[in-house]
Amino acid sequence: MGNDEDWRRFEQLALPHLDAAYNLARWLTRNDADAQDVVQEALLRAMRYLHALRGNGARPWLLQIVRHTCYSWLKENRPVDHVVLDDLDAQGAELPAPADDEPPALAIRRADRAQINAAIAALPVPFREVLVLRELEELSYAEIARIAEIPVGTVMSRLSRARALMRTALSAPARPPLRTVPRASAGGGLA
Amino acid sequence: MSATHDDGWRVDAFVDGQLDLADQLAFERRLETDAALRARVQARRDASALLREQADRHAAPASLRQWVAAQAPARAASATPAPVASLRRPGDWWRRLLPARALAGAFAVAALALLAVGLAGPPWDGQQRLVDDVVASHARATLGDRLVDVASSEHHTVKPYLSSKLGFSPPVDDAPVAGTALLGGRVDFVDGRPVAALVYRHGAHVVDAFVWPEQGADSSARFATSRGYRTAHWRRAGMAHWLVSDVNEAEFGAIVEAMVRAPAGR
Repeated sequence: MGNDEDWRRFEQLALPHLDAAYNLARWLTRNDADAQDVVQEALLRAMRYLHALRGNGARPWLLQIVRHTCYSWLKENRPVDHVVLDDLDAQGAELPAPADDEPPALAIRRADRAQINAAIAALPVPFREVLVLRELEELSYAEIARIAEIPVGTVMSRLSRARALMRTALSAPARPPLRTVPRASAGGGLA
Repeated sequence: MSATHDDGWRVDAFVDGQLDLADQLAFERRLETDAALRARVQARRDASALLREQADRHAAPASLRQWVAAQAPARAASATPAPVASLRRPGDWWRRLLPARALAGAFAVAALALLAVGLAGPPWDGQQRLVDDVVASHARATLGDRLVDVASSEHHTVKPYLSSKLGFSPPVDDAPVAGTALLGGRVDFVDGRPVAALVYRHGAHVVDAFVWPEQGADSSARFATSRGYRTAHWRRAGMAHWLVSDVNEAEFGAIVEAMVRAPAGR
């Protein structure tokens, strides 16, 4: 780390978001030790790119770096998790909205902590990250779009799909949460 | 695109507070007369609320915060400027952790004590893979649901259970050091083989003591770190012992010393 001035700036801007950084990394890597490794690497990068941070928005800035580092890490260490994004987005169009007579609220209310955590962990990474950023970090769609480097429309469609997958996972408590399998026939793009 | 499909994202955006003002007003007006839409909004709100209540929010662990603190530029007191810390250098990352004041004294005493009684060996130059493996097993167990297979603070319950599962009889220490309590044991896997893991609680921390048969002469304790966890390894009476925890330096040393000294073949 350079000088005291830079460090003070880093302390003030980035460190308040260390928990958010770790939470995101932990959810994406699903492993405490790996999350620590990723966050350390991300923080080292953040220290180097501190000059690029302007104005407010330190949290999305840091989380963007963390998320980018996670993806690099996943690509190298867990290629299975490093999903091709376009296919998943195209599948969003085929997802039916919940029927009016379905009682999702009741089923979901019964779900306990372990089930919910398992359901989130089972989501494909592109869906898991937007869900974590929205529900746990309470970031805006615009901030999530910046962090994940995708358009706002994609944030919304991925959130919608993530939530549908959660509904499915939690409304069948007897079965373990199912991991989505890419469909053989890709539908048209989002209408 | 069907109207239902259209509403899907709109319901989400409304509940997420992401509709612009005009859209939000229009949606609120619709809610006044559309009971089905109201129900969907409520269901979405409930789902979000449940997720926020129940999902884990992982706070940065102490070891990560310590690492961050170690990145601060060297103060005048340090002899050498602190380079950017490498991520996996066993053994010496702790040197920059302790402020060059109060704690250093206590630790130096503990370290000297260990060296004096021949319990601390030279730092690892190999077997990093094994270090990483026990740390990974420890992390998996402490972060997952299954910390112990048999929960008991009595060695005469834990030992026979593990013996029956493993085909060897691990030495079990009930309480190696004051403030450490045996929680139980589990079968775990290290380096591809099934091993005994004795699980202790020490304050707010978990200590895992892995044991398995290993040929070779007795050896003194060797320390290494991986990803913020401390490990120690020694061999005694044909058993390999690995201790893993994230307790602090001095306490880890005390536990290692007590376990190394424990009477063999309990």
